[in-house]
Amino acid sequence: MKLKKITQCVILSVLAAAQSAVAQVDDEHARSIVQQAEMASYYAGNDGRSLARMIITDGNGQKQIRQFTILRQDVEDRGDQNLMVFFSRPSDVRDTVFRVLKHTTQDDDRWLYLPGLDLVKRISAGDKRTSFVGSHFFYEDVSGRNTEEDYFELLEENDEFYTIKAVPKNLSSVEFTHYIVNIEKSSMLPRKIEFYDAKDRLYRRVESLKIENIDGHPTVLHSRVEDLLNGGATEMQFRFVEYDLGLPETLFSERSLRTPPRRWLKIKG
Amino acid sequence: MPRITLVIGIAGTLFFNMAAQFSYAQENTADNESFDSVWDDDWGEDTYNSTKNINVASFSGFTETLYGSRLSNSEFHKKTSIEDIRLRLETKLDIYSVNIVSKGDIYYDGVLDDWRGNFRELRLDYSWKQTDLKVGRQVLTWGTGDFLFLNDFFPKDWQSFFSGRDDEYLKASSNAVKLSLYSSIINTDFVWVPKFEPDNYVRGDYYSFFNPLSNSISAPNLEANEPDNSEFAIRLFKTINSYELGGYFYRGYFKSPNGFSERGELEFSRLQSLGFSVRGQAGDGLINLETSYLNSLDDKEGNDPLISNSQFRFLIGYEQELRERLTASTQIYLERTLKYNQLVESSFNPTIEPNENRTLLTLRLGWRSRNDKLRLSLFTFYSPSDSDSYWRPSVNYRVDDHWNVSFGGNVFEGKDENTFFSQLDDNENLFLRVRYNY
Repeated sequence: MKLKKITQCVILSVLAAAQSAVAQVDDEHARSIVQQAEMASYYAGNDGRSLARMIITDGNGQKQIRQFTILRQDVEDRGDQNLMVFFSRPSDVRDTVFRVLKHTTQDDDRWLYLPGLDLVKRISAGDKRTSFVGSHFFYEDVSGRNTEEDYFELLEENDEFYTIKAVPKNLSSVEFTHYIVNIEKSSMLPRKIEFYDAKDRLYRRVESLKIENIDGHPTVLHSRVEDLLNGGATEMQFRFVEYDLGLPETLFSERSLRTPPRRWLKIKG
Repeated sequence: MPRITLVIGIAGTLFFNMAAQFSYAQENTADNESFDSVWDDDWGEDTYNSTKNINVASFSGFTETLYGSRLSNSEFHKKTSIEDIRLRLETKLDIYSVNIVSKGDIYYDGVLDDWRGNFRELRLDYSWKQTDLKVGRQVLTWGTGDFLFLNDFFPKDWQSFFSGRDDEYLKASSNAVKLSLYSSIINTDFVWVPKFEPDNYVRGDYYSFFNPLSNSISAPNLEANEPDNSEFAIRLFKTINSYELGGYFYRGYFKSPNGFSERGELEFSRLQSLGFSVRGQAGDGLINLETSYLNSLDDKEGNDPLISNSQFRFLIGYEQELRERLTASTQIYLERTLKYNQLVESSFNPTIEPNENRTLLTLRLGWRSRNDKLRLSLFTFYSPSDSDSYWRPSVNYRVDDHWNVSFGGNVFEGKDENTFFSQLDDNENLFLRVRYNY
């Protein structure tokens, strides 16, 4: 009797799982569009450099600033990637350096250099959907969300945009249930991403406010993320963006954490 | 008198900060009015800006007031455990390809009732091809331990560590030359310290501790004979498949006085050390392993009762994010005294000699709020062999880009008065630190 009940339960839950899998659309066309957008957003050129500045405004209108230089090098397009972030403002994080070796099939390697202690600290792989240096951007917004983690569905297409809905494969790993992204056809860059929570509320919006063509690569020069529940926002601007500088691979190492490579950080004004 | 100075310090800090806050507020107003114009105009990249041959970075730094109080009465010290009013000035200067780094502290030390000033860093950096050279006063750190040092024989400031100064001050500065050579085969750091730099070890001006001479807790201001000789350290390092490997060599002296001359003066005895470390990902976390063999050159046989014996040190650590924004790390550490029988046989007082195997467990718990402003931390040392422990709880609130407030404690527990942490029992303290970054 008991066994029968358990069997029934198992069958029911298997059926339920099968049903939700059926309901979960994963459209190859939509996936290929998202992959093109990933390529345009995070892998333009073989390497790149830019100066970035964030203004973080909390729900009470209090403002903070972060300013840093990013060096990037792709190991492989849409694959592993080297990133270094050199902070220059505010003064309590000046000369702090953050290094990521991004992996697509395993956890990223991350290091932080703390100049006051001359300490190269390795950081354990953590939740990627937590604040990047106190801003409303997440680590994942900066380094890119792996397209293998979501199902995609093309909701709409017009002359200007693709509108795609993404549902995470593993709901427990993220704070959203789905997001809707508008990808601009001319640049293949996401223009707007809107995230919805378990109550189906729109609670977070990321927008590209200014896109320019630099060295043949459409480039986001101004973006904004808004916390629609608590009322804060972070604006990010990029300047002095350059691609294909020929950064040497050895640049992405402990050496550059302890001794910033001034030759590659110098902005030609 | 110190109390008055503290009040003046706080008032001064506040005034300074208010003035800066005012200009900041004006900046903010401008932001609201024409957000873009402020953004577009001032990127102020003074550090790496332009192709000019000479660049000076603007001054930055902080002012800080730190006050700490003992949790219990001490027969050796007053209630105030620390009282600092500090001004930090930092700047950088680029002259062609030479970079000059300067960081100086001026502070009033209320415990010593004295004004102090020192350069935390004052060095020249020069890089060419695969070589980096750093010459001058600098902070040096290597190794994989968290508050545990097996192969890092650069000076530590234990007085600051136990009293509530920022973690940064645990590492004291050295006058040194550091040459780093990088290659695809292996990377090498050579450090030469022309004149031995000791730790700022626990002394009677700040702390009471177990004095083996009197066999009791006291607070003598021990002065030791510092050798005039140099120190030399090498690190070989390389990363293979995300695993960081390190090999270490040191030749110099024990960093705290560890012996007596025949005339009864405290001395630093000679030390040579060899070690190895590895660090990398394991499972969902990070693992690190480090060992070192400390060769006590002046007491190789271990039978000189006045000089500490050779040691073998071993550390294994693991760190993992337990849940969102909550990270835990733990370490197991062993310090094995070699030639232990000789030590006990020749000792004047075997009951107070350290255990043959001193063991330590540490646990660090760190939590940060969603907006990264509030950080809670607890670091605990527990020694099963010594039956003593040391607790470092702290709360840190980063109010904005300028203000930072920290509150914390240093708590020591143990049953014997001669063990490492237990001896500091009378120095337990709580502290409050208010910093303004500019």
